[in-house]
Amino acid sequence: MPVPSENQRAAGGTAVSVRGLTKRFGEVLAVDSLTFEVAPGRITGFLGPNGAGKTTTLRMLLGLIRPTAGEGLIGGRPYAALRQPLHTVGAALEATGFHPGRSGRDHLRVIAATHGVPDRRVDELLELVGLAGAARRRAGGYSMGMRQRLGLAAALLGDPQVLLLDEPANGLDPEGIRWLRGFLRHLADGGTTVLVSSHLLSEVEQTADDVVIIARGQLVRQGPIEELHGPPTVLVRSPQPEELARAVRTAGLEGAPAPDQGPGAFTVEGASLATVGDAARAGGVTVHELRALRTDLERLYFRLTQQQDPVLAQPQPDGEAP
Amino acid sequence: MIRLVRAELAKLTTTRLWWGMGLALLLSGVALAALVAFFLTHGSVPGLGEGLEITDTLPALALARMVYTGAAQIGYLLTLVVGVVVIGQELRHRTATTTFLAEPRRGRVVAAKAVALAVAGLAGGSLLVAGALLGGGTVLALGDLPVFPDAGLLLRTLLLQVVALALWALIGLGAGVLIPHQVAALFVAVAAAWIVEPLLAWGLSFLDWGDGLAQYFPSQATLAAMDVYSDIDPRIAAAMGASPEQLPWWGGLLVLAGYAAVMTLAGIWLTRRRDVL
Repeated sequence: MPVPSENQRAAGGTAVSVRGLTKRFGEVLAVDSLTFEVAPGRITGFLGPNGAGKTTTLRMLLGLIRPTAGEGLIGGRPYAALRQPLHTVGAALEATGFHPGRSGRDHLRVIAATHGVPDRRVDELLELVGLAGAARRRAGGYSMGMRQRLGLAAALLGDPQVLLLDEPANGLDPEGIRWLRGFLRHLADGGTTVLVSSHLLSEVEQTADDVVIIARGQLVRQGPIEELHGPPTVLVRSPQPEELARAVRTAGLEGAPAPDQGPGAFTVEGASLATVGDAARAGGVTVHELRALRTDLERLYFRLTQQQDPVLAQPQPDGEAP
Repeated sequence: MIRLVRAELAKLTTTRLWWGMGLALLLSGVALAALVAFFLTHGSVPGLGEGLEITDTLPALALARMVYTGAAQIGYLLTLVVGVVVIGQELRHRTATTTFLAEPRRGRVVAAKAVALAVAGLAGGSLLVAGALLGGGTVLALGDLPVFPDAGLLLRTLLLQVVALALWALIGLGAGVLIPHQVAALFVAVAAAWIVEPLLAWGLSFLDWGDGLAQYFPSQATLAAMDVYSDIDPRIAAAMGASPEQLPWWGGLLVLAGYAAVMTLAGIWLTRRRDVL
C-alpha cells in the first residue's frame, strides 16, 4: 500500500481542544458548552446519535460556523488563524459536495492549487484511496463509497497533522472500512491526531483509543475506550450451581446467577479470573467455563445517550439538526 | 492570493460552463450584430416618415457602434449569469465547505472569485466582440458601408463593451451571495436587469426628475459607457429606446464600476458573516 509522503512530525504533535463550544440556531441549542480534548497519536471516536451536534461541533472547530460561545483550537490556535490550513488539518465533513460536472481529479487539483500542491501529489492520493481508475470521470457519477474516498483524498492533500473525519465509513464496503481502519491506525502511529465521528459505537469500537460521547449537544462521557467497560465481570459456569454460589460467597465475592448466559452460569463482579477460579477450587466445585465478560458497549452507549434524551436516542433519519 | 485566483480560474475551466458560455457569447455576437446590421441597412427610420433610410441619417460611426454593440444586452446577461453561478454552485453542490477549509479568510476567497470573474468576463467579452465584428462586419461590408469607421472612437466603444461585460459578472457575483439559492438568484438577477429595470426607467420617464435618475441604472450606464447613442439625432435615439438623458462614456463606466464594487463588497461582507452549513 502506498504511504503518504514523509510524516515528519514535530515531537508532541498537534492537539485539538474544544472549550465551552456552544451554538444556538434560533430556538435550538445544537451544541451546549462542549469541552473536550483530542490527543495526538491517538484515534478518538466522536460519538453521538444523529442530531446530537457532532457536525455542528466539527464545523465550529473548522471556522465554518460561528460559535455562540466558546472556542475550538487546533494546536492552540483557531482554525481561521492557520495559514495554509490544509497542511495542519485535513477534514472530510458529511454533506461536503462535489461539482457533479467536475472530475474527481480536477476537484482535488482545484483544492491543491490553493496550497501550491503539485498534481503529482493529487495522483498519488487518488492511487492511495483507490480512485485512480475513476479519477478523470465526472464526480456526478461516483457512488457514495467513491465520494467518501474522494473526500478522504481531499483531506489528506496537505499531509496534515490533524485529521477530522465525519462519518467516514458511510457508504464504504466492508473491505473499504477495513482498509480505512488500518490506514487511520498507521497515521495515528505516525503521530497524527485523528478524530472520527460516528453515530454508531460499533464503527469505532475496534479502532478508537479514546471516545468522546455527546448527546443533545452535551458531553456525556470522554476518556479511553477501555474505561467504558467499567469494572471487570467474570462469567463462571458449573454443573453444581448451588455449590458454586456458596463457594463464591465463602470467598467474600459478590456473585449472581446469570440465566441469560445459559444454564449454570454465574457472574462475579469486580474480581479477576484467578480469584474466581481459586474460589471454585477451594469449594470443590467443577468448573466448565471461566471467562471475562466484556461490557456490551453498544448497550452502554445507547443507555448513555438515551439517558440524556430519550427522543434523540431513537433511530433517526439521516442528517444532523440544522 | 495568486494561488486562490488560480484555484478559482481552475474551477471555472474544469466544468462545461466555460465552453458553453464562450460559445454562447461568440454566437450571440455573430448573430445579433448581423441581425442589427441587417435591420439598420434595410430599414427606414421609425417616426420620421417613409423613404428616409437609416443609413442616410446615421453617421457611419453611430451605425457601426450600434451594430457591434447589438449583442451587448444578451452578453451582459450571460456574464451576469456566470457571476451568479460562480457563488451559487458552491452553495448548491456544497463545495463551499471545501473552499473555505482551504482558505478560512473568506473575504479573500470572494475577492479571488471577483478577480477570476473579471478575467473570465474580459475573455468572454472579447469573444462576443470578436463575434460581433465577424457577423456585423460581414453584413456592413455586403451593404457597402464602412466596416470600421473612426477607428479610435469605435475601438473605445468595443473595449468598454468588454469591460462592461466583466463588470456585469461582478454584479452577478454579489447577487449570488445576496440570494444564496442559485435558481432564485438567477431568476431575480435576470428579471431585475431585463424586466424590472426597463419598466422602472419607463415609469420614471413620466416624472420630471425621472430621466435624470434612470441614466444611473446599470443598463443605461452600460449603453452610455459604450457611447451607443451619442452623435445621433435625439429623436432617433429615443425611438431606439435611449433614455433622453445620457451620461458621458466615462460617467457610464464609473457608475457601472460602482455597481460592481458595491455588489462585490456586499458579497465579501456577507460571506464573512454567514455560517457555512
